[in-house]
Amino acid sequence: MTRRSTFVLLLVPGLLFLLLGFILPALGVLFAAPGATTEDIFSRLVQMFTDPYDLRIIGRTVGLGLVVTALCLVLGFPIAYLLARSESRWAGVLLALAIFPLLLSNVVRTFGWLVVLGSNGAIGQLSMALGLTDSPPQLLYTSFAIIMGLTQLFLPLAIVACYSAISQVEAGLDDAARGLGAGRTRTFWDVVVPLSLPGVVVAATLVFAGSVTAYTTPYLLGGSRQRMLATELYSYSSVTIDWAAASATAIVMTVLVVLVSGLAARLGRKGATT
Amino acid sequence: MTTTSPAPFAAETGSPAAAEFREVTQRFGDFTAVDRMDLTIGAGQFTTLLGPSGCGKTTSLRMLAGYTRPTEGRILINGQDATTLPPEKRGLGMVFQSYALFPHMTVAENVGYGLKLRKVGRVDREAQVTEALEMVGLAHLARRKPRSLSGGQQQRVALARAIAIRPTVLLLDEPLSNLDARLRVQMRSEIRRIQSETGLSVVLVTHDQDEALEMSDDMVVMKSGQIMQQGHPADVFSAPANRFVADFLGYENFLTTSQGITLAIRPEHLQVQDTETDAVDEALNLRATVTDVAYRGVDTLLMLRARDPSGEEVDLLAETRGEDPGRYTPGDNLTASAPRHRLVQLGDD
Amino acid sequence: MTSRKPIAASLAVLGYMIMIVPILFVVAAAFTSGSSLRFPPEGFSLQWFEAAAGHTPFRAALLTSLQLALLSTGLALAVGVPATLAIHRGKLPGKGFIEGLFLSPLIIPELVVGLALFQQLIVTYRIDNFPVLLLGHTALLLPYAVRVTGAALAGSDESLEEAARGLGASPMRTFFSVTLPVLRPGIFSAGLLGFITSFNNVPLSLLLQARDTRTLPISMLDYVQQSYDPMIAAVSTLILAGTVVIAIIAERTVGFTRIFGGINR
Repeated sequence: MTRRSTFVLLLVPGLLFLLLGFILPALGVLFAAPGATTEDIFSRLVQMFTDPYDLRIIGRTVGLGLVVTALCLVLGFPIAYLLARSESRWAGVLLALAIFPLLLSNVVRTFGWLVVLGSNGAIGQLSMALGLTDSPPQLLYTSFAIIMGLTQLFLPLAIVACYSAISQVEAGLDDAARGLGAGRTRTFWDVVVPLSLPGVVVAATLVFAGSVTAYTTPYLLGGSRQRMLATELYSYSSVTIDWAAASATAIVMTVLVVLVSGLAARLGRKGATT
Repeated sequence: MTTTSPAPFAAETGSPAAAEFREVTQRFGDFTAVDRMDLTIGAGQFTTLLGPSGCGKTTSLRMLAGYTRPTEGRILINGQDATTLPPEKRGLGMVFQSYALFPHMTVAENVGYGLKLRKVGRVDREAQVTEALEMVGLAHLARRKPRSLSGGQQQRVALARAIAIRPTVLLLDEPLSNLDARLRVQMRSEIRRIQSETGLSVVLVTHDQDEALEMSDDMVVMKSGQIMQQGHPADVFSAPANRFVADFLGYENFLTTSQGITLAIRPEHLQVQDTETDAVDEALNLRATVTDVAYRGVDTLLMLRARDPSGEEVDLLAETRGEDPGRYTPGDNLTASAPRHRLVQLGDD
Repeated sequence: MTSRKPIAASLAVLGYMIMIVPILFVVAAAFTSGSSLRFPPEGFSLQWFEAAAGHTPFRAALLTSLQLALLSTGLALAVGVPATLAIHRGKLPGKGFIEGLFLSPLIIPELVVGLALFQQLIVTYRIDNFPVLLLGHTALLLPYAVRVTGAALAGSDESLEEAARGLGASPMRTFFSVTLPVLRPGIFSAGLLGFITSFNNVPLSLLLQARDTRTLPISMLDYVQQSYDPMIAAVSTLILAGTVVIAIIAERTVGFTRIFGGINR
């Protein structure tokens, strides 16, 4: 009816932006990079999985992504649990404090680690002052620095996702388990963890996808020593201008993220937070 | 909007019709919500659509209001074909189950919204808003936001908003279901009072038979998109047309006679006597065994097992008042009887 | 809350330290009177704030970032809110698919979207940088606009609109007098979220920059690569202050945790 056509009309501008600003260009990366044929892109793609240099970068990206994901869950779930189950009036403030970094520029947050980990930074100077080392230890441009930086970046996401899930688990269930004789720890593992698992899956997906595609952190904290897919993609398309390589890297990154998201969506129920 | 042409007269009742359904069908995919329904809503009458969930009562109301268009058939309002008219052109007042008060407007703005759309001037509007709010006893809350009101107050505001536009028909979609039991009983009489003061035609949708019995002039019992019975509450209550209606109105005992006729008896009309010799003349008497006893304060419920006149084993329920709760115990044998005039003969479903 | 759960509590403390401590060090470094990022800071001064305020590339970049964030947020809302309305109220077939389409930019890495726009529009069609940036940022913000206003719409009672219609309001009138006011908090939330997302964005803007259209985060990255002085700390501290202001506005209006955490308490 006319009602339906009105609603369809309302969709048109949005769809147009999606089509021009996202869908068509994204398809172009696969099939029509300037100065690179589809064959070029795909042979470069095959090369990425045979060349030791490329493989090391893929391995580092995935490996660091997994470490950061694990770290964010190990730190984020307890925070979310304490906040969701606390009756203290400070819980709200602490929750806001955990969410606030999400608003703050990644550049600003990552820059903080330069100050902390740099050769004249807090940790270096402190360890020299304590006589632990003679010269400042090399902390920057290591995988440790990247792990710290990415954990700082994505821990808030993990907390929010876990918090939403845990606060949906009725506190009455905790009481019921306790009443049946389960201790505090037992209740946590038998009731809280299984019921908030979908949130944990969402958190893991968000953190992993964020970590393997992050640019600012490996750029500032990894430098040229700790290259990752994102920094490689940038240098292919802006420094060496190798479109086939850029497209191939983009495809690897995208497939990685889509694969993990799809797996997670199947694993937990559907639904993401950000 | 509303028409001033004289309302036609409904064929059966002879009273003028406020609205009519003519062979109306509503399908959602494979599901038939309303099935070739004919219904006349009498002007100035309080009509109730009663039935379990899924019987098509709310769908019928929404079709009347114009929120869903019938798949087939016609809907007439004041004798005019309104089948394809959008809701804003129907001039009906609807009270929603969720109240649907605009959260960003005050109580007075909510009630005055329909008047503003009718371009009623500010002074007249304020007077009419106050009048509507006074009718529901909430004139003192005019400046409040709906969120700050209790459920019962929100309900009254919704009612005031619907009557402020002086609707052709006032439509009430389970308006009392979100209220607690005491408030619900109070609101029933209040809505009745407003109806008689204004002379409005009202259609109420409910699944609560007490509500329907207490409030309506005309009661329409529905099942699976069809009307099972329509009539004055007292008539429907004392003479349900079929087993579905009887069941829905609280008849608990169903017996088959030797001629194959189904009889229904209300639990309060089934009396128990200790021995066969106490059997009552001019009544149906059945030998029964007590299977369970439930004491309920004002009365005691006896669950009985008996053999009906056709020879079938049946479970019966009897409400006995003023008996010592300890008088009967499971296993006791007794006689259950009901006077002839309390036996209701049912037709087929 | 910490006394009886020692393991959880110590993990929580560690987590908060990782999230917060580096930010505190940035602030401390910004007020140094020395010329390097040395710890502990050498004396107190505001010189690096003055330097940052006078640094022309930063001033230009700030202007670009603000323009881009405001325009893309406005555009995303202007096309996103009607789309949301169609998705949630239109009873259109394929509702799930359409919604998925609008959320799809969230799945593809932003860096890849940036590469796509760079290759296809700037390199191939030689379109100016700013319009491409704007197009990209708008597409990036659409999911936020559709999801956040969609949540507000899904959470509001559809019978509100029916009630307005029943009282005599046309569909248009219903939209402006009922739907839009009810959606206002959702639109406001989506706007704040969109502004912040666009303003802070690096990966999408990275490849789309030009010498004269460079966003603030990108020019900060460039600056760090060239020199290693506390001026970036000063800029960062200013951004932090601005972010705090936005957080306070959020808390005073719709609620901070509701907007940015999607948490209803």
